[in-house]
Amino acid sequence: MSQLSIPFERHRLSNGLKVVLAPDRTVPVVATNIWYGVGSRNEPAGKTGFAHLFEHMMFQGSAHVPKNKHFELIERVGGTLNATTWFDRTNYFETLPSNELELALWLESDRMGWMLPAMDQEKLDNQRDVVKNEKRQRYDNQPYGDWSERLQKLVYPEGHPYRHTVIGSMEDIDAASLDDVASFFETFYVPNNAVLTIAGDIDPTETLGLIDRYFGEIASGRAIPELPGTPELDALIGSTVRDHVVSEVPLPRVIMGFRTPPYSSPDFAVAEVSRALLGMGRASRLYKSLVRERRIAKGVVTYVYPLLSGASMLLVWATGYPGGDAAELEKAMSEEIDALSGAQQSEIDRAISLTETDLVRAMERVADRADLLSMFDLYFDDPGRLNGELDRLRSVTLEQIKEFAGERLGTNNRAVLVYEPEDKK
Amino acid sequence: MSPLDRTATPVSGALRDFDFPPVDRRSLANGLDLRVAKMNRLPMVSLSLFIRASEAALTDGNAGLAVLAADALEGGTKRRNGSELAEALEQIGAHVSAGAGWEGTSIGLSCLADRLPKAFAILAETVLQPDFPEDEVARARDQHLAGLRQRTMDPASLASDAARERYFDPSVPYARSVDGSEATISGVSRGDLRGFVDANYRPELGGLVAVGDVETSEVEAMVLEHFGDWSGAPASLADFEVQPVTRERRVCIVHRPGSVQSEIRVGHVGAERATPDYYPLSIANMVLGGMFTSRLNLNLREENGFTYGVRSRFAFRSAAGPFQVATAVGNDVTAPAIREIMAELAGMAEGGPSDDEVAAARDYAAGIFGLQLETAGQVATRVGHLVVYGLPDDHFDRYRTNVRAVTTEEAADAAARHMRPHEAQIVVVGDADVIGPAIEGLDLARVEVIAPEA
Repeated sequence: MSQLSIPFERHRLSNGLKVVLAPDRTVPVVATNIWYGVGSRNEPAGKTGFAHLFEHMMFQGSAHVPKNKHFELIERVGGTLNATTWFDRTNYFETLPSNELELALWLESDRMGWMLPAMDQEKLDNQRDVVKNEKRQRYDNQPYGDWSERLQKLVYPEGHPYRHTVIGSMEDIDAASLDDVASFFETFYVPNNAVLTIAGDIDPTETLGLIDRYFGEIASGRAIPELPGTPELDALIGSTVRDHVVSEVPLPRVIMGFRTPPYSSPDFAVAEVSRALLGMGRASRLYKSLVRERRIAKGVVTYVYPLLSGASMLLVWATGYPGGDAAELEKAMSEEIDALSGAQQSEIDRAISLTETDLVRAMERVADRADLLSMFDLYFDDPGRLNGELDRLRSVTLEQIKEFAGERLGTNNRAVLVYEPEDKK
Repeated sequence: MSPLDRTATPVSGALRDFDFPPVDRRSLANGLDLRVAKMNRLPMVSLSLFIRASEAALTDGNAGLAVLAADALEGGTKRRNGSELAEALEQIGAHVSAGAGWEGTSIGLSCLADRLPKAFAILAETVLQPDFPEDEVARARDQHLAGLRQRTMDPASLASDAARERYFDPSVPYARSVDGSEATISGVSRGDLRGFVDANYRPELGGLVAVGDVETSEVEAMVLEHFGDWSGAPASLADFEVQPVTRERRVCIVHRPGSVQSEIRVGHVGAERATPDYYPLSIANMVLGGMFTSRLNLNLREENGFTYGVRSRFAFRSAAGPFQVATAVGNDVTAPAIREIMAELAGMAEGGPSDDEVAAARDYAAGIFGLQLETAGQVATRVGHLVVYGLPDDHFDRYRTNVRAVTTEEAADAAARHMRPHEAQIVVVGDADVIGPAIEGLDLARVEVIAPEA
């Protein structure tokens, strides 16, 4: 068994910016990665989708960087860049030839410190259009496109920060103003709400010096406000809640969601291994039964959302064949979930084996390493957790899985979203 | 230290260049082209077996047979059934995946280095002794057909599928779907799959690529042990000329009632991988629509807000694949978006890129090349291209030099010959009632409106 270990060091600037450095000089590539502690969960009613729209605005320039220059400069040196918005955080990342580190530090520090002077109505209106197109392309114009919106409403109660989607509503996106941009920036885009990770071909001492030079003078912000709404919720949904949609979809699909322990809970690992037994790989229970033997599902997917506030979500998907019966699919899924009580150690071993390969694969790219280190630092104040991932999962026992399945995967904690084609063949 | 001047772009450090990993090449007695590259940063291996059993070699009536055969390999071998195979692989954390396309069939293996001997044995068993049990064949067929159905209801797939048959003459395999159709797949039997594999899963013209924490001698020994008796060439090989359907510009709307966006495809027959214009054309395309800061993206997304993103691409296959611009835009801006795409195409074809644009594209292409060699899988894919397209052994060693040598004149000349807006086929998937009139108003060609194939 290989031992996964990424060396790193941690620092903190006086303005609160947390820094993680993970040197690796074998390839002349460097990845920079910033996680800001803000996501869709921080959006109050009427402002859904704003964290994501704001992420777009962050590429529209800053005090010393004209619009589009950020993309141009990075691409010019042969780098790649992007950003993503999630429930609990927003991340910004670049991968560059290692001799261009300073460029990334300049760009990231300029927008962390001085993004507002470059903002104007034209840029906001333009990116609003881009985001609305994104919503149409990825959600509104797609079969099953509204699945997340529907499922989140089933799993999370009114007032919970995870009830609305990251992309938000067209209405709220339309209502976003420049004032909102300013107040959002001043509240959340502050060094004391961020972690900067640099992984790859760097000299740590020199790099820390550069980071201090570029980020050190950015003023600290105030404490981050409490989450709007009510993040606390019951461990269980309390019943089976349903949504049934007949629409222009090619195949019947059943999506089940379960409230599971939040990412910070030691029981989260049990959820991860349980979902692996159900649907990871072709020897998993759902694949073996629904896809291969009974041939009622074309495909099955399982995963757990690693969420921090109150409860995470475990998902089980099954897609049927044309003319297939969604009720039969749902029944078969239930049967396999119930059958978890008969889980065997060999299944856990298999899941661990697959996860081990995936973890090592995730370490191949400096960008992936940097992102994981940022996550563990922001979420747990402990980047070293990365090196303990496999052990954490290995420690899950059969007993724990059976207990988890009984407690959390029963009909008193289940959201069932069903899609059926309009004209059943 | 001097105070920081934020108005100035930082100066780059000294470039630390690095080479493509050295590739050991052996031609084995059974005709298999073996390529091994050692990368031992991490204890991983990425391995790919390429067999020249391709969709392009199949007649229209057999379209999809190669793809289905590859999909059905996981159904089991003569020694053990599909579940047993999956368990054996997953127990050692190994991933095996098989797929086929225009160029051939690839079976990939990814695992920790110390698992390779066991995993390789399973891969060999899967490829050499597939059983194709009836129920697994039926399943593969059903999955395949359901997948085809999904494509017809996904607007992006619908657009690309509709476009391809408007680019290529029906005599060209590329005119049809690489996955076949309901008509060609429904009747495929166990006998058909066995027949196809028996006749075409052969080592000649194929290759085995292994990258990671491995030694060439180790891999060679494994190949001899498990594939020692394997020999010969595939029974059928691709043999066709690429022709366009027409050289006249045409516009077609595939009606999708209720669509909130339009999927736009603008393109025509492109160029083959072996084209002498490969580098200048790649650079010209990068300037047009191959980067975030391309003309198309800056115009349609950043300036006009028409779209979330737009890209242009040449599919450099063994024979000429399509050249295509692809994007999704809001209903009310569909016609303006098409107008802007045509303007940018014409601008590039007639005027070529500027010195500055070419310099930026060269820098980008040369720079990201190095970033895409971090993983064993990425390197294995590249090395695989040497086999698939018959590229010189030192192709990747010289890649950056060749890219940096492209001149503005060469790029402009390549664009003028290979980007032909007057021959463009414009295909739009959207609500014809909503977007139709404005598209007619563009006066690009007579607009044909069709209902999608059920």
